[in-house]
Amino acid sequence: MSASARYCWLERAGGQATLFLSGVWHLPRIADIDAALAGAGMPASPLTVDGAALSTLDTAAALALLRRIAGAGASIERLAHFNVSHVRVIEAVLERLGDTAIEPPRRRHGVLAVLGMHVLEFRGLMKGHLDFFGRSAAALGDIALRPRALRLKELAAQFQHICIEAIPVVILVTFLIGVVLAYLFGLQAEKYGANIFVVDGVAIGMSRELSPIIVAVIVAGRSGAAFTAQLGTMLLTEEIDAIRTLGLSPMQVLVIPRFLALVIALPLLVFVGDVSGLAGAMTVANPLLDITPTTFIERVRSELSVDHIIVGLMKAAAFAAFIAIIGCRMGMTVSRDSRSIGINTTSTVVQCIVSVILLDALFAILFQELGY
Amino acid sequence: MNAVPVIEVDSIVTRFGAQTVHDGVSFSVPRGQIAAIIGGSGSGKTVLVREIIGLLRPAAGRVRVLGTDVWNAPEEELSALRRRFGMLFQDGALFSSLTVAQNVATPLIEHADVPPHLLGPLVRLRIALAGLPVEAATKMPSELSGGMRKRAAVARALALEPEVLFLDEPTSGLDPITARAFDRLLRFLCDDLGLTILVVTHDLDTLLSIVDRAIVLANGGVIADGPVKEVMRVDDPWLQSYFRVRTMLEGKENNRGT
Repeated sequence: MSASARYCWLERAGGQATLFLSGVWHLPRIADIDAALAGAGMPASPLTVDGAALSTLDTAAALALLRRIAGAGASIERLAHFNVSHVRVIEAVLERLGDTAIEPPRRRHGVLAVLGMHVLEFRGLMKGHLDFFGRSAAALGDIALRPRALRLKELAAQFQHICIEAIPVVILVTFLIGVVLAYLFGLQAEKYGANIFVVDGVAIGMSRELSPIIVAVIVAGRSGAAFTAQLGTMLLTEEIDAIRTLGLSPMQVLVIPRFLALVIALPLLVFVGDVSGLAGAMTVANPLLDITPTTFIERVRSELSVDHIIVGLMKAAAFAAFIAIIGCRMGMTVSRDSRSIGINTTSTVVQCIVSVILLDALFAILFQELGY
Repeated sequence: MNAVPVIEVDSIVTRFGAQTVHDGVSFSVPRGQIAAIIGGSGSGKTVLVREIIGLLRPAAGRVRVLGTDVWNAPEEELSALRRRFGMLFQDGALFSSLTVAQNVATPLIEHADVPPHLLGPLVRLRIALAGLPVEAATKMPSELSGGMRKRAAVARALALEPEVLFLDEPTSGLDPITARAFDRLLRFLCDDLGLTILVVTHDLDTLLSIVDRAIVLANGGVIADGPVKEVMRVDDPWLQSYFRVRTMLEGKENNRGT
C-alpha cells in the first residue's frame, strides 16, 4: 500500500467512479492529503465520494478535496456514508469555493510610476512643512501678543528632556571629537613644528562647524524622533482630537512649547559642546604636543574670536527650528496605524540630519559672502 | 465522546497587589458549546481569559485547555496547544504592516505545511468563512472599518483550524446590525465547524440569542453558571439590574404596541 492510499483511493464499478476517503483529514497533514488527491487519478466525470472511513475532516482538507475535484473537471454527484458534521464542513466550504478561486488583483506599479509617486510625495511633504512652518509662526505671533498663552510648564518639561538630559551625551561625544581632532591635526602640524596652530584649528573648527553639526545630529536623533513618536501616538489615541474639542489649539499646547524649548536648548548644548571639545583637545595637547593647559587657554583667548562662537550658536538656533518643525509635523501626520509611527520617526531623523547639513552648507556660503 | 471538557478552570486566584480579583473561580466548558463570561466592569473577565490562554499567570489554581495543563505543561506541549485554539483580542490586534491576506497567511506559513498552490485559496477560504468579501484580502488593516477588522481578526484566529475560539468583547464598538451578523458567524462556527467558543461579552443581545451558557463573575467568584434562561432567574442584585435593562425596554415597546 502506497503512502497516498492511506488517505484516498478511487474505485470504478460499471462506469461509476467512487472516491473513498479515509483517516484523519486535517490541516497538519494537508501536504500529504493534497499529494494523495493528486495521485488518485481523478476522472473528469461526476463521481461519488465515500466518507465511511473518514474520522476527521476540517475545512482546509475539504478545500483541498473540492479544489482537486474541480481542477480535474469532475464534480461530486453524491456524498455517501458521511458523518453529518463532515457534510456541514463540506457544504460550508462548497458555498465559498467560488470566493477562494478569485485571485484578487495585485497592486503593482512600474518603476516610472513609483518614481513619479515619490516625486509627488516629496512635493507634498515640502508643501506641508512650509504650511506647518507658517502656522507655527502664526502661533508664535499669537504668543508674542498674548504672552500668557505660553505654556510655561510644558516648555520647562520639554527643556528638561531636550537640554538637561542631553548634556552627558553631548559632553561625551564632543570631548571625543576634540581629542580626535587635536590628535589628527597634531600629527600633521608636528612635521612643521607648528604645534601651537593645532589649538587655533580645533578652537575654530569646533565652535564654528563641528560642535553645531554634531550636537544638532544628536538632538535630531534624540528629540526630533521623540517629538514624532510622542505626537504620533497622541494622534492615534485621539488625544490631539480631544485637545481640539476642548477648544485648545494643539499648536499652542504641543508644538510651540517644543519649538521654543528646542530653539533655546540647542544653542546652549552647542556651547557645552564647544567647551567640552576644547577640553578634549587640551587633554591630548599636553602629552602629545607639549602644549600645557595654560598655553592652550592663552592661545584660545588670543586666537578664538567671539564671532566664531556666535556664528556657531546662530546656526544652532536655525538647526533647532528645522528639527522642531520637522519632528512635530511628522508626528501630526501619521496615518492610523502603529507602523506609520515607525516610518515617520525614521523619516524625521533622516530629514532632520539632511536639512542640518544642507543648512550648514548654505550658512558657509552666506557667511563667506558676508565676510564673517 | 464529550467526557473531557474542552476548558477546565479550577479555583483560580488572581491578585494585583493588595487587590484580589478572583478568589476561587471554577467552571468548565464541554465541546461544541458557546459559553459566555459576563460580569460588571472590573470583575476580571478579560484577565480570566488571559489566564486561560496562558498570557497571565494566576496566583493559584489550575487551567486545562484540551486536556493540557496550561501553567504546568512543558514548552513543546504548550506550543502544540497554541495551534489548537484561536484568540480574538478586543481591538482585533491585526498586524498593521501586513494586508489582511498576509495576516491570515502568517500562522499558516509559520505552523502548517501548506502546499504553495493551496495557500492562496486557503487564506481566501478563511476570509470568506469569517464573512469578509474577497476584495478585503488586499487591504491594510487601517483601511478597514471596525466590524471588518474584527472579521479579519476572526479569519486569522481561524487560520489553523482551531478547536477552541476565545473572543474578548467581539461586538463592542459595532453597530447593532453588524453585531448581530457577528453573532450569526459565531453560531455558524460552533454548529457547522464544531468549534467550542468562550466569549467575554457585555452584549445582552448576544447573550440572549446565541449563547448556550452564561458564566457570571462577581465578587471574585462565579455567582451563576448555566443556560441563560436560568441565569436570568438567579437572585443577585447585579444580575437582576443587568437583565432589567432589557425587560424594561421590552416592556416599553409592548406598552406602545397596545
